Amino acid sequence: MIPYLLFATFIGLLFHGIHRKVIARIQGRPGPPIWQEILHTLKFSFKETWIPKTASQILFVAVVFVAIGIWSGALYVLLSGGSLLLLFGVYLLHKIVEHGMGLSSGSPYGKFGAIRSVISAASELPLFVTVIAIYLFTHSLSIADIVAYQEVYGPLLIAAFPAAVAMYLIILSKMHYGPFSIIEAKEIVSGNMTEHFGVWRAGLEVGYALKTYVLLYAFVLLFIGQLPLALMLLVMLLVLISLSFVCAITPMLSPYDTVTVQSLVTGALVIYIVILVVTMG
Amino acid sequence: MFNLPTESIGGRELFVLEFGDIVNYFSPYTAALFAFALIFTALAIVSRPERQVDIAFGGDAYYAKEVDVDLLRFQRFMAIACGLATLGAMVSGDVFNFTLFASLVGITNIGIVAAYRNRHVLNAAFQYGIVAMLATVPLFGGAAIILSSTGTLSMWELFTDGVVVPIIAKVFLVIGVMGEGMAPFYVAKAEITRAQGAPFILMVHVSSLLLFLRVIEIAISM
Repeated sequence: MIPYLLFATFIGLLFHGIHRKVIARIQGRPGPPIWQEILHTLKFSFKETWIPKTASQILFVAVVFVAIGIWSGALYVLLSGGSLLLLFGVYLLHKIVEHGMGLSSGSPYGKFGAIRSVISAASELPLFVTVIAIYLFTHSLSIADIVAYQEVYGPLLIAAFPAAVAMYLIILSKMHYGPFSIIEAKEIVSGNMTEHFGVWRAGLEVGYALKTYVLLYAFVLLFIGQLPLALMLLVMLLVLISLSFVCAITPMLSPYDTVTVQSLVTGALVIYIVILVVTMG
Repeated sequence: MFNLPTESIGGRELFVLEFGDIVNYFSPYTAALFAFALIFTALAIVSRPERQVDIAFGGDAYYAKEVDVDLLRFQRFMAIACGLATLGAMVSGDVFNFTLFASLVGITNIGIVAAYRNRHVLNAAFQYGIVAMLATVPLFGGAAIILSSTGTLSMWELFTDGVVVPIIAKVFLVIGVMGEGMAPFYVAKAEITRAQGAPFILMVHVSSLLLFLRVIEIAISM
């Protein structure tokens, strides 16, 4: 598991670099090299590290380990074919990491990021709808059962297309530089990550890399099915590039517009679920 | 082993904890939620609150707030109580116990927030209290409908295929839990971050999200 964790971290960081590169090229800039995020993480690992004097010191450090821990757990759940509900749980618990990170420093910028994290909780609801839609089709929330279902009945991407759109939106809402990235907007410096430097930032980068890997992997696994690793990575890359396109051409929304858009999408998906329930009995 | 009937939802049963006819259970799902609640309860016990830095508008000045020891003690007590209630709700095998733990989470959340003597925070706590109190109606109403329509509140019975739980009861349970502590239900909650005590305020959110995750498992399984 540990070699796979290292592999997933490496690929996740590489994906972050590719994400930045694609956005830059679309916007007519040369952009950083694609391995820039790997270099960033290595650089932060060896930089001077401190904890702000005003911080809640234990919590300030603990959230970094929680971030790595929950996404490592999510990767294990995904690879072992565990419960999709656990993956949904990890995604929601990531909100606690974002919130705790911002609040623990005592910094007003971190606090603003933490508040934005709370009010953007609407972004979790489309995932809930996705989980229900998948359950209605497969009658199971075991990832192994969902993969087996697709081997017999074909990809859920076709059968449950609105649920796939919801999951895509969820991944988009967690991407850096995206329309929903209000918690780390530049008008509040780096938002909830403002005060986390040095090793703590490197740890967060690792956690976020795992998160990107897990979410992209989950999307392909849940809506296309199990693929050989090389093909899986290729499809994940294609999904990532499409997300980068959206991020490059969409301005960041205001916090309340973010909630409005996500709530409207959730509303539309709830209607979809009601239709599914009625038609499928 | 009691053979949890919903292996395909939260995973297979790992361990059961019997209290007479009330049987709490640990599946990979509930055990993971329990572990997360335990970690943040431990953090609330050992952490000191942050000193919030506020900017004085109209200049470059800023100041750091002091930590009030009495406030710290009360908030920590409430956060630990909230953590214990959350731990109970995560592994409960009985719908009535779950609703009791959920309402206890709501009460302790109000306590954590209302401890801070600031007009904005107290306003938020007041609004939160109203929503939490109102939410107990659908919360316990949902449990009452389940009992009257199926004759049991044991999840071990309710999760079996032979027992049909009315959809309205599930909807009431979910709405009740959202009212007891789900952030999107009241944006005023953002105001509570004016209050100091990150490890304790965070417990409000931890308990809310974990309760929501558990009620989803219960609603899907029934």
